[in-house]
Amino acid sequence: MPTAMATAAGMATGPGSRVTRYAKSTAASVTPVRPGKTHTLSALDNAMERHAVHLVLYYRAAPGVDRDPLKESLSEVLSLYPTMVGRLTRGEGDAPGSGWIVKCNDAGVRMVDARAAVTLDEWLATASADEEIDLAYFEQMGSEPYIWSPFYVQLTEFTDKSYALGLSCTHLHNDPTAAALFFHCWAAAHRRSTSPYSPFLHSPSFAVSPAASPPPAPPMLAAKSTAAPPSADAMSSATFHFPADAMRALLSSLEPETTPFAALAALFWLRVAAAGTAEEGEKDLTLALDFRKKMHAPLPTGYYGSAVHFTRASADLSSGLSAVAAALDRRVTSVPEEELWAAVEWLHARQAEGGEPFQMYGPELTCMALDHLPLYGAEFVAGEQPARVACRVAGAVGEGIVIVLPAAEGDAARDVVVTLPAEATARICRDDEVLRYGAKVVAGTKVETGAKAK
Amino acid sequence: MSLLKAAYQRIMVDNLQPLVLVHLLAASLVALLRFGPDELSSLLRELQPVHLFFGGFLPAAVVIVYLMLRPRAVYLVDYACFRTPHTSRVPFATFLEHSKQSPTLNSRSFRFISPLLERSGLGEETCLPPAQHNIPTHKYCTLDGARAEFELVVFSAIDDLLAKTGIAPDAIGILVVNCSLFCPTPSLVDIIVRRYNLRRDIRSMNLAGMGCSAGLISVGLARNLLQVAPQGSHALVVSTETITPNYYVGNERAMLLPNCLFRVGGAAALLSTSPVNARFRLNHVVRTNTGAGDDNAYRCVFQEEDDEGNVGINLSKDLMVIAGKALEANITRIGPLVLPLREQLLFAISLVARKVFRARIKPYIPNFSKAFKHFCIHAGGRAVIDELQKSLSLSDEQVEASRMTLHRFGNTSSSSLWYELAYVEAKGRMRKGDRVWMIGFGSGFKCNSAAWECIHPAPNADGPWATSIHRYPVLIPDVLKH
Repeated sequence: MPTAMATAAGMATGPGSRVTRYAKSTAASVTPVRPGKTHTLSALDNAMERHAVHLVLYYRAAPGVDRDPLKESLSEVLSLYPTMVGRLTRGEGDAPGSGWIVKCNDAGVRMVDARAAVTLDEWLATASADEEIDLAYFEQMGSEPYIWSPFYVQLTEFTDKSYALGLSCTHLHNDPTAAALFFHCWAAAHRRSTSPYSPFLHSPSFAVSPAASPPPAPPMLAAKSTAAPPSADAMSSATFHFPADAMRALLSSLEPETTPFAALAALFWLRVAAAGTAEEGEKDLTLALDFRKKMHAPLPTGYYGSAVHFTRASADLSSGLSAVAAALDRRVTSVPEEELWAAVEWLHARQAEGGEPFQMYGPELTCMALDHLPLYGAEFVAGEQPARVACRVAGAVGEGIVIVLPAAEGDAARDVVVTLPAEATARICRDDEVLRYGAKVVAGTKVETGAKAK
Repeated sequence: MSLLKAAYQRIMVDNLQPLVLVHLLAASLVALLRFGPDELSSLLRELQPVHLFFGGFLPAAVVIVYLMLRPRAVYLVDYACFRTPHTSRVPFATFLEHSKQSPTLNSRSFRFISPLLERSGLGEETCLPPAQHNIPTHKYCTLDGARAEFELVVFSAIDDLLAKTGIAPDAIGILVVNCSLFCPTPSLVDIIVRRYNLRRDIRSMNLAGMGCSAGLISVGLARNLLQVAPQGSHALVVSTETITPNYYVGNERAMLLPNCLFRVGGAAALLSTSPVNARFRLNHVVRTNTGAGDDNAYRCVFQEEDDEGNVGINLSKDLMVIAGKALEANITRIGPLVLPLREQLLFAISLVARKVFRARIKPYIPNFSKAFKHFCIHAGGRAVIDELQKSLSLSDEQVEASRMTLHRFGNTSSSSLWYELAYVEAKGRMRKGDRVWMIGFGSGFKCNSAAWECIHPAPNADGPWATSIHRYPVLIPDVLKH
């Protein structure tokens, strides 16, 4: 039952939820920020305004993983992230075309304390993917960005003293890679060591010189910017776990050298599209790739900001899983960097003219590759890796998004999080083609969890 | 030169009466010796019991009674302040955001708070108790939250003190706690007695409602109790202010000031009549209350309900003027005890000239730098420190401890004097023989002073300033923009 205080603070969970949020506070960093520090967001960051990133990491009960020590290490790690504790404000002139600037005023990040009424194992076995959002509190920007915290950290304690650490943030600040690496730094601070992925703050990373003539619009982004708002179908999520042998079985049926991401993206693409009419010819799939290391002058992994590039891959769906996967692989390895810079230039010019941000993830089906992230390296106690990781990108309405994540087992195993229109998710969860390699639905839809076995 | 000055202070200022007595005795001895051996022996033969009585027994009795009635010297064995945790830090931006999100604060009040914080002299490292970090703040300011804050602050300070002094809890015979605005049942002394298993026959006192100057009131009370306790007893004095239950939820501007300025803090001090391992000697405690007959002084810091029934502390606009008058009253009583003769004479002459002859001259401000090396002025706010610096003609360096404590810890009420003393010691400025003047102000309107003398300076900078002393002193701008 939501407490009166939770309702007063606007953070109550829905009726029947097993998670109770009981306190909202602000966590400040240990060292004060030098006054007057600011950070200008790039054009790519500004374009992501419609989206939010949610990450939940589950940790089993261990000595040293408790609310007060976690809050202390959080304060310590926030000293490395002066932009996280800052607030958004418009650039000079206050015109919409001037983009967001982060004023590092040391205001802190919001922290929510919560309790779950079950043990961690019960939760992992029975929670639906939509219920997982209860573990990552978020507030939309509202009318006063200057007092709005872009980051929310939720500490949820399970009855067996296990914890779920939830981080929600606006995509303006961080893409999923940067959010994941924050956990890495936090875990390292908790262990009293340093992370190799310290945040790299460099506004000019995606700076473009103003073009003499307006840059040509990249067709995909132009289409997104003018797309009609998608139908109000409710979206729902599910998480699939592909153990190592399932992945090996899947990969063995495909061409050699196929990457796990391409294999899974192809599999889900085929199964989602199977519901539609069987049209002939090539179809397109949008891939969302982390471009930090794909650039000619690669950015440090810890680059703070959005470095997600959307690119289109084409394949003939009737040619079979193997061919489609190979096509995706070819696309991923051969994406030209000019495509990224063309997109950045166009976004920059559009922003300067006062263009409003539009939905970047979607409305068409998008597959995001996050399996390169060292998510399971975020060990708060040495040797204790997270039991599981959940990731969502909010605002991806329309045909949905498929995210490929690493799994707890490591190396070959993968987790796949799908957020699709509700009946598509329900159908996929029961789809034999997806499940036949040995995959399991570990966090299904609300309907599924009742009927799901094991 | 300073050795001479210290000797002069010790002989002429502290011990005038015994000095006079010694002179008289010496004079009579000299007179006696002038008589010569024959006259002496004849005098002795003529002695009668009554001569013996008046010549020998009576003066001896007088001397013995004098020595016994002299108050016992009280020493400060050591003290410890609460080390504020980093996780409780409240930057200005966070404070303003929480105020903005408070459902009870209107926008006019919010516009008042912002410039107030910038000009307050507080820094970005002051701390609020954990309960006040929540949104919305007032819903978490519960009785349990208040007890939790008290226990966090006081247990931490006492643990520190016991570790520093090495004293066993059952050696403490007297316990005095002062906390103005939080008075639960069982009392705060009972919480401490229970936690540390203190003696069953402990003489404990809980002082509530006595304001920001209560720290020195507690010290004075402990000193008085030590006079009647067995020689060598120890008294634990705990000064703190629990701010969790006192969050003002209204919009009256004069009552919003405490929300903005008061911060979490506390100190524990161990006093004793035994000089073993003592670090300071308590020379004087002088308490002045100016509330009688002066309505302005009485209502200067007044707890009341605003128009909506919200309870808060109303700070009057005349606070500075009243503080100045209270200080003058206190100086008039402590001056003769600590000032060298020359300063006293000049002050007396100036006083007589102004009051009796009504001469239009400026009042002579005694130069207290001749009496004290270090000054710990209650860090009640920037204006209070400015006013006192002007009234006492102190240099910037002499008020540095107060300003820096206000910047780093905010207004911690009665314990701020101990944080200031810790600053002077952490900076390494304390030397053996240095005299310290602690001045506290508080509701009533009270002005209390204590004069200490250092026996052993602190061996290191360990204490509440350990992590930040290297960054001080800082230049505090008039308006702190962030």
